[in-house]
Amino acid sequence: MGCMTPASAPSVLSPPNLSASIDPNVQPVVSVSGLTKRYGQRTAVSGLDLRLPRGVVAGFVGPNGSGKTTTMAMLLGLVRPTAGEGTVLGRSITEPGAYLHRVGALIESPAFYGSLTGAENLRLFATVGRHDDVDVEGLLDTVGLGDRGRDRYRTYSLGMKQRLGIAAALIGDPELLILDEPTNGLDPQGVREVRALVGELASESRSVLVSSHDLSELEQICDWLLLIDGGSVVYQGPTRDLLDGGPRGLAVATEHEHELAILRSVLTDDGFAVDARDGALVVTAAPGGSSDPVALGAAINRNAFAAGVTVATLQPLRTTLEDRFLDLIRGGTS
Amino acid sequence: MTAVIRAELQRSGRRRSLLIAVLAALAFAAIASTSVFSSAGTTITSENGQGATLADLASAGGGTKAFAVGASFAGFVVFVLFIGLMAREFSEGTFRALAMREPRRVRIIVGKVIGLLVVALGVGVVAELATFVLSLALAPGQGIDTSAWFSLDGLSAAFGDLGTVMLGVTGWALIGTALAVIFRSAPIALAVGFAWAGPFENIVSRSWETGNRVFPGRLLAAVMSGGTTEVSFGRAVALSAVYAAVALGVSLVLVVRRDVTS
Repeated sequence: MGCMTPASAPSVLSPPNLSASIDPNVQPVVSVSGLTKRYGQRTAVSGLDLRLPRGVVAGFVGPNGSGKTTTMAMLLGLVRPTAGEGTVLGRSITEPGAYLHRVGALIESPAFYGSLTGAENLRLFATVGRHDDVDVEGLLDTVGLGDRGRDRYRTYSLGMKQRLGIAAALIGDPELLILDEPTNGLDPQGVREVRALVGELASESRSVLVSSHDLSELEQICDWLLLIDGGSVVYQGPTRDLLDGGPRGLAVATEHEHELAILRSVLTDDGFAVDARDGALVVTAAPGGSSDPVALGAAINRNAFAAGVTVATLQPLRTTLEDRFLDLIRGGTS
Repeated sequence: MTAVIRAELQRSGRRRSLLIAVLAALAFAAIASTSVFSSAGTTITSENGQGATLADLASAGGGTKAFAVGASFAGFVVFVLFIGLMAREFSEGTFRALAMREPRRVRIIVGKVIGLLVVALGVGVVAELATFVLSLALAPGQGIDTSAWFSLDGLSAAFGDLGTVMLGVTGWALIGTALAVIFRSAPIALAVGFAWAGPFENIVSRSWETGNRVFPGRLLAAVMSGGTTEVSFGRAVALSAVYAAVALGVSLVLVVRRDVTS
C-alpha cells in the first residue's frame, strides 16, 4: 500500500501501446545472456539476461551504479564483457564492427571537438562512420539547433551539447538508438522537447533503448522496460504490464475532514480494504476482493450516502513506474 | 582507416587552423633564416655543433639549410603537440565517440597519426618554401652565391631535408602518441613527456655521454639534424625506428585491449 499514489494529471505523452503488436518470433534487436562485467573485485554487471524486441522504445531503469551505462558500453563494443554473450541487430557483440554502423548512441556525456562548430562536428563524425551523405542541417533542425549549427561547440550550453549528442546519434538513420540519460542537464522545456523527440524517433519504426533516472519521463515515452538493480535484471517487459501489475483502487476524499474517519469505519465494517493516506482514503478492494474502479466507486458512494458522508472526489489510483520500481528492487525479481 | 584520416584532415583543414599553421610556418621560416644567415661564418661556433657555415649555405643544399637547422629544434614542439592532441581525445571523450563509429580502434589511432603527419608534412613544405624564399633574400647580404640552389642537387637536397625532418617528426609523433595512450590524460602525459625529453635526457646525457646515443629524444634530435658528432645519422635512424616501433606497438595493444571508459 505504501507505494501507491493517488491519480495525477494526464501525461503529456502516453506510452504508445506497441507492446500489443510485439511479435515474440521476430528477432530481438538486443539479446544478451549471462552478460557480466567485473572490474577487479567489483561486479558492475552480473549475469544479465535481457531481450529487447524490435520497434519498441525501451526504458533502461536502475539506480546509480546499477550497471546501465556499463551494459550500454558493452553493447556498443566500448567495454569488453568478462563473461556472457549476446547479439545486437542479430550480430554478436564480440564483433561490434558488424553492427555499429546501424546503431546510433549517446553514452555518458556528449563528446565533441570544442573548436569545431556543431555542424563541423557532425560532419566529422559522419565521415568517420562513412555516412558522407549526411544531412547535417536536417539533423540540427531535428534537435532544435538549426540556428546554432555554425557556433563553436565550446560555446554551447549543457542542454545544447546534449541535443548535438542526439543529433550525432541520428547520423546514418540508425535502426537502434542507445541513449544514456539524454535529458541530463536540460531545463524542463528541454526535457519535454527531448522526450517528444524520442517519441517521434520511435514512431519511425526504430528501436530505442533509453536510460534515465527520471522514471516519470520513461513512463511517458517507453512501451518496454528493462529494470536492473545491482547489475541484474529485476523486470523486463511491456510498461503497461508492469504498471497494471500494481495495486488498483480508488482514492476517496470527503467534503469535510471529520467525515473521513466515519467513512473509513463504515467501509471497513462492510469489508472494504481501506487505508488512510495524505488526507484521503485509499480503497483497494470491495467486499469479495473486486478492485474494478467503476464497481468500487459505486459501492463507496452508496455506503457514504447511507452514512451521511459527502464524497468530494473519487480518483482511480495510478501506480507509477517509480512505485513499481521501488516495489521490485525491494521485493526481488519479477 | 581512410575515413579517420579524412576526418582528421577535415578538422585540421579548416580555414582558421590552416591560417594558424601557415603563420606558424612563416614565423618559423623567418626565425630560422635570419638566425642561420646571421650566425653563419667560416666555421660552426655553436656549442651543440648545429648551424651552417657560409660554404654550407653556398652549396646546392644551402637554400634549405636554414629549414633543416631550424627544424632540428622543432622536434620537441611536435612531441608536445602530439601528446596534447592525442591525450585530449581520451580525456575529453572524443575517442569514445569515434570508437562508436569506428570500432576497429587501431584504425582510429593510426588514422589520426597519419592525418596529423600529413598536416605536419604540409606545414613542413610551406615552412621549407618560405625558408628558401627568405634565404634567397638574405643570401646577397652575406655575399652568398645562390646559383647552386637551383640545380638538380639543390632540389634533391630540399627533398632530403624535408624527408629527414619528417622522419624525426614521425618518431616524435609516435612516442608522443604512446604517452597519450598510456596516460589518457593530457596534463599527466605532457608532464611525463616534458620531464623525460627535456630535463631528464639533457641532464643525464651531460654526465653520461652514452645517453646521447641511446635516449630516444637525443636520437630523434640527431635524426632531424642529419646526424651529430655523438651518433651517426644511420644509427640514429635505426635506433629511432626501434623506439618508434615499440611506441606504436604499445599504443595499439593498449588501445585494443583496454575498455573505453571515459
